[in-house]
Amino acid sequence: MSAAALEVSALAKVFGGLAAVNGVELTVPAGERRVLIGPNGAGKTTLFHCITGTLAPSSGTIALFGRDVTRLPEHRRTALGMGRTFQITNVFPELTMAENLALAILGTDRRKWVMHRSLAAFAAVRRQALEGLERVGLAGRADEPVKRVSYGERRQLELALALNTSPKVLFLDEPCAGLSPAERQRISRMIAGLPRDITLLMIEHDMDVALGLADRVTVLHQGRVILEGTPDEVRANSEVRDVYFGHA
Amino acid sequence: MDHARIVFGLVALAAALALPYYAGPFWTGLATQMLIFGLLALSVDLLLGHAGLFSLTHASFFAVSAYTVAILQVRYGVSTALAAPAGICAGTLLALVFGLAVRTRGVYFILITIAFGFVVWGVAHRWSSFTGGDNGVTNVPFPALGGLAVTSHTQYYYLVLAAVVACGLGYRVLIRSPFGLGLRGIKASESRMRSLGFRTGLHLYAAFVLSGALASFAGVLYVYYNKFVNPVAASFPISVEAALMAIIGGTGTIIGPFIGSGIVLGLRNWVSSFFELHLAVMGAVFIAAVLWAPDGLVGLAGRLRARMERAKEAGRP
Ligand SMILES: Nc1ncnc2c1ncn2[C@@H]1O[C@H](COP(=O)(O)OP(=O)(O)OP(=O)(O)O)[C@@H](O)[C@H]1O
Ligand SMILES: [Mg+2]
Repeated sequence: MSAAALEVSALAKVFGGLAAVNGVELTVPAGERRVLIGPNGAGKTTLFHCITGTLAPSSGTIALFGRDVTRLPEHRRTALGMGRTFQITNVFPELTMAENLALAILGTDRRKWVMHRSLAAFAAVRRQALEGLERVGLAGRADEPVKRVSYGERRQLELALALNTSPKVLFLDEPCAGLSPAERQRISRMIAGLPRDITLLMIEHDMDVALGLADRVTVLHQGRVILEGTPDEVRANSEVRDVYFGHA
Repeated sequence: MDHARIVFGLVALAAALALPYYAGPFWTGLATQMLIFGLLALSVDLLLGHAGLFSLTHASFFAVSAYTVAILQVRYGVSTALAAPAGICAGTLLALVFGLAVRTRGVYFILITIAFGFVVWGVAHRWSSFTGGDNGVTNVPFPALGGLAVTSHTQYYYLVLAAVVACGLGYRVLIRSPFGLGLRGIKASESRMRSLGFRTGLHLYAAFVLSGALASFAGVLYVYYNKFVNPVAASFPISVEAALMAIIGGTGTIIGPFIGSGIVLGLRNWVSSFFELHLAVMGAVFIAAVLWAPDGLVGLAGRLRARMERAKEAGRP
C-alpha cells in the first residue's frame, strides 16, 4: 500500500497553558479533497501552521508521502511539495503582481540564487508568472504594484502564490475570507477546477462551499478532531450541529 | 522616462569627468570622499534598502580592510596588487563571521551589530603594537600596479570614479537578479518567503557577506585616499553616518546613497568651523529626512514629479 499524502499523529501545540491543537490524528490519502471545519479558535490555523512548518509543534509527528517531516524547516517542506495560503493575506505589497509570482516560482528553483543576471533575462519565469496570474483571473495586472490592487485581487494572488510552488499537497486557509459573494464563487470554482492529483486540505467556514467541494470533512473542536466523514455524514451529525452551528 | 535617466546619467558622468578642471583640488578631494563614502553607504543599503536589515557595523569591514592594506603596504612593503585584494579578503572574512547576526531580527540585529562594531573599534584602539593605537598606520602610498602608478589626487579621483561606476553597474545587476528580488521579498514578508521555499536565513547571510565585501572595497579606496587609517575609521559614528547617507539620499536606490554622502560630507565640511555642532546638525538633518522625505531625496523628487504631472493633467481641459 502506498503511503498517504499526509499523516499527522498525536500532534499538539501548546501556547502558554492553552492547547490550541490537542492530539490531532489526521490521514489524508493522495488526491483527496479534505475540508476542515470548526468554530473560531478551534485550532484549524494552528494545525496548518504546524503541518507546514510555520510553527514548531509541541509534540507529535507529521509525515508527507510516508516521509517524516516533523523536524524539517518550512522551506524544505515546501520543496517536498507542501504549498499553502494564509488566512490573513500574506503577499508582497511593495512588489508587482508578476514579481510576487516570480518569487513563488523561484522559491523551489535553484535559480533563486542567481546574482549575476537580471531577472528580466529569464523569459521562462516571466511567462510562467503571467500564466500563473491568468490562471487565477489576474491577467493584465502583471505590472501593477500589489499595494494598488483590491483586497479581492490580493486574495486571488494569495492563491496564485501557493499554486506556483508546484505543490503536491495544498493547504488553503479560508481562501474566501472577506470576499463578496461573487468573488467567493469565482475562487471556489477555481479551487474546484484544480487538477485532481493535487491533494487538497482546506479550512472553510462557509458550509455550502465546504460541503460542495469536500470528498471528506474533518471537524475540529477545541484542538481535537471530533468527527471525520463524508459531507452527508457531517451534515447529519448532531454533535457537529451543536458545536458548529451553535444553537441553530 | 528611461530616456531622461540615460541623459541624466550621461550629464552626471560628464560633469564628474570634468570636475577636476572646473572645481579645483579642494572640491575634487571632497568629491573623492563623497564617492568612497557613498560606496560604503551603498553597501549598507544592500541590507537596509533591499533586505530590511539595519546594520551598524559596516565601519568594521571598511576599517579592517583599510588597516590590512595599510599594514601590508607600509610595514611589509607588499605591493598594491596583493595588498588591495588582501584588504577585501580580510573585510569579507570578518563579514562571514559577523554575518551570523542574521540569526536575529529587528532591534536585536541592530544591537548585535553595534556590539560587533565596538569590538573592532576596541581592537583597533587597544592593540597598539599591531594597529598603531590612536595614531594608526600612516604614510600609506598611492596605489601602484606594476609600472602604472597613481601620482596625484586628481588621478586618484579618476580611479575612484571608475571603481564606483563599475561597482554601481555590478550592484544594479545584483539587485535586479532573482537573488535581489528575493531580498526584497524577505523585506516585505519573510514568513511568506519561507513558505514559498526560500531559506531566508541563508539568503540574508549571503547578502550580508556581499555587503561586507563592498564595504571592504570602499575601505581600500579610503585608505589610499586618506594616506593613513586610525580607529576613527572603525568607529560607531562612521557606521551611523553610512546608514544616514543611505536614508537621506533614498534607500533602495543606487544614486541615493551617493547623494546622501554628498549632503552629509558637505554639511560636515561646512559646519566643521563650529565642530561641536556637527553631530547636532546631523541629528537635525536626520529628523528632517524622516519627517519630510521618509524615502529620501530620490523618493521626494519622485513624489514631486508625480504631483507636477497630476497638476498638469488636472490643468488640461
Ligand atoms: N501565536 C499564538 N499565541 C497564543 N495563542 C494563540 C496563538 N495562535 C493562536 N492562538 C490561540 O490558539 C487557539 C486556536 O487558534 P487558531 O487560529 O488556530 O484557530 P482557528 O480554528 O484557525 O480559528 P478561526 O476560525 O478564527 O481562524 C485560539 O484560542 C487562539 O487564540
Ligand atoms: Mg484560522
